[in-house]
Amino acid sequence: MLDRPVASLPVEVIIAVTQALHREARLLDDEDFEGWIAMLCDDVSYRMELKSRRFRADRSPPLPVGPGVIFNENLARLKLRVDRLKSGFVWAEDPPNFIRRAVSNVEVLASQAENDVHVYSVLVMHRNRIDGTTRLLTAGRTDRWRSEGSCWLLASRDIVLDHSVMPDSNLNAFF
Amino acid sequence: MNANIADLVDSRTGRQSRAIYSDEAIYRQELERIFGRCWLFLVHTSQIPSPGDYFRTFMGEDDVIVIRQKDGSIKAFLNSCTHRGNRICRADRGNARAFTCNYHGWSFAPDGALAGVPLENEAYFGELDRSKFGLIPVTKVAEYKGLVFGCWDANSPSLEDYLGDAKFFLDVWLDAMPGGSALLGETQKMVLGTNWKLPVENVCGDGYHLGWAHAGAMSAVQSMDLTGLSVGNSGVDLDGGLSVAGMNGHMVLSALDGVSGYAFYPDPKPILEYLEVNRQTVIERLGEVRGKQVWGAQVNITIFPNLQLLPGLNWFRVYHPKGAGQIEQWTWAMVENDMPEAVKAQILENQCLTFGLAGLFDNDDGDNLAACTEQSRGWRTAQMDVYTNMALGRSGKREGFPGDIAAGLVSEHNQRYFYRRWQEHMMAQNWDEVPIYNINSLADQEAEHA
Repeated sequence: MLDRPVASLPVEVIIAVTQALHREARLLDDEDFEGWIAMLCDDVSYRMELKSRRFRADRSPPLPVGPGVIFNENLARLKLRVDRLKSGFVWAEDPPNFIRRAVSNVEVLASQAENDVHVYSVLVMHRNRIDGTTRLLTAGRTDRWRSEGSCWLLASRDIVLDHSVMPDSNLNAFF
Repeated sequence: MNANIADLVDSRTGRQSRAIYSDEAIYRQELERIFGRCWLFLVHTSQIPSPGDYFRTFMGEDDVIVIRQKDGSIKAFLNSCTHRGNRICRADRGNARAFTCNYHGWSFAPDGALAGVPLENEAYFGELDRSKFGLIPVTKVAEYKGLVFGCWDANSPSLEDYLGDAKFFLDVWLDAMPGGSALLGETQKMVLGTNWKLPVENVCGDGYHLGWAHAGAMSAVQSMDLTGLSVGNSGVDLDGGLSVAGMNGHMVLSALDGVSGYAFYPDPKPILEYLEVNRQTVIERLGEVRGKQVWGAQVNITIFPNLQLLPGLNWFRVYHPKGAGQIEQWTWAMVENDMPEAVKAQILENQCLTFGLAGLFDNDDGDNLAACTEQSRGWRTAQMDVYTNMALGRSGKREGFPGDIAAGLVSEHNQRYFYRRWQEHMMAQNWDEVPIYNINSLADQEAEHA
């Protein structure tokens, strides 16, 4: 029962946050990057750490300076990535790839802060690129969403990619 | 096959048959004559600092475990049980007192000895000679200033001789500062549908693709704050660098400005400070040319066949072949131990963000390399050639540097030497038939001055 929310959330909040996750996935599928950026808090943190496959009993100490990252972005860095994608020079994205995100296993939990919720979800990303090349990427996400006015905005996202060897030739996509 | 190999590459005119990227028989021969013969990078000593620390890697397609021994030495073994061949370790890295096979429970000590066999007396009647069933060691393991290499061929030159004059450039990272070097972070692993030679070629000499293939990233990073950096970050410096080859198959691209490695850092100030504070030390250790011009500059070093390291941009990479048309690309961040922790952290982060799995630059290359591979697989394309014939014959010697050198970073000089080395190995039956050459070697230059 460790995961029990500190206070039960109104069902309206759960629906609104869940809808925000679905909307976010649709905007990204449609490459509406401005729309997506507008769903992010100004102080957003967007991270995906590197992992390794280790024995359960392994006792080697943490790596000096840490594991490294695949993404570790603030708003400016995310905008930089968007600028790159929109530059017209990213040949891997032209013609556009067929990409579809499915969001699932959504749990919306109350947090200590009043205008803030914890959200767990699973993202399945189907990418069809270059003729028949198809890749299925899955990731677990732990988010914080914050209500600002009438909107829920993404405050932080920690992404765990479920692939020890990345099975595609780029990650020109947001999770 | 040898007559055929002679026709597949012409390094004088810069021509390669596309078959070398797709033909399965050629690939099998590469596993024998290149990956079975050359010194291959295994691990950096910083990755297995303590006794019992181990790291799993590959030599060609052979799965290998590299283990730090009790006495501090390093041994490497095939990751394969000597009983039925099962993989004995499925972890990427860690620390272990023993490796126990999942199949029947045979257990091996870190020194490779077969330490335990279930039902040894009951099932084998005590007749198993354990000393004959230790893990299969890699024939030769040697270290050069933190870089540990393995080699299957007992008749190979020593590691020092194999590296030859490439050490002149390796030392710009490994020996610039007294504290030496380290690799940081978990391994950044990616599958790419490319023949292994194409990414090597891309990094060993191809400055030509930077402005076009990476145009999107180049245009985006122009918005970065590059205060204090004396080089542009948007274009390619055609004149201010060198393409160095003719060193036993090793190649180097080097800018000569002492700072350009950090051109893609959003905030290069802390690193530029580190360079400034320590520049004199490095000049004392490595001399004027390397200390002033090379240390801190963008430098691409290729150690034949499959290791590439870019001090300055600070990424370190090996390519493990997985068939003629596929590789696993493994990348780490590289630092100097004397760097302040904050600088190390910044390098790890920036390396991941520029040349990591979602790297702003790295993500431009994969599809090009994969398509070059695919376009060598057709009935018609497999009979065709591709070319590295830019700036033919425009190379020479340069005082103070080893190798046959072409001016600038945009040239196909290095690629021609890469394929020449590939061909020399593929045609040779053994090491005795492999030519050894360090053009304009540093030793010769010294002798001349003496």
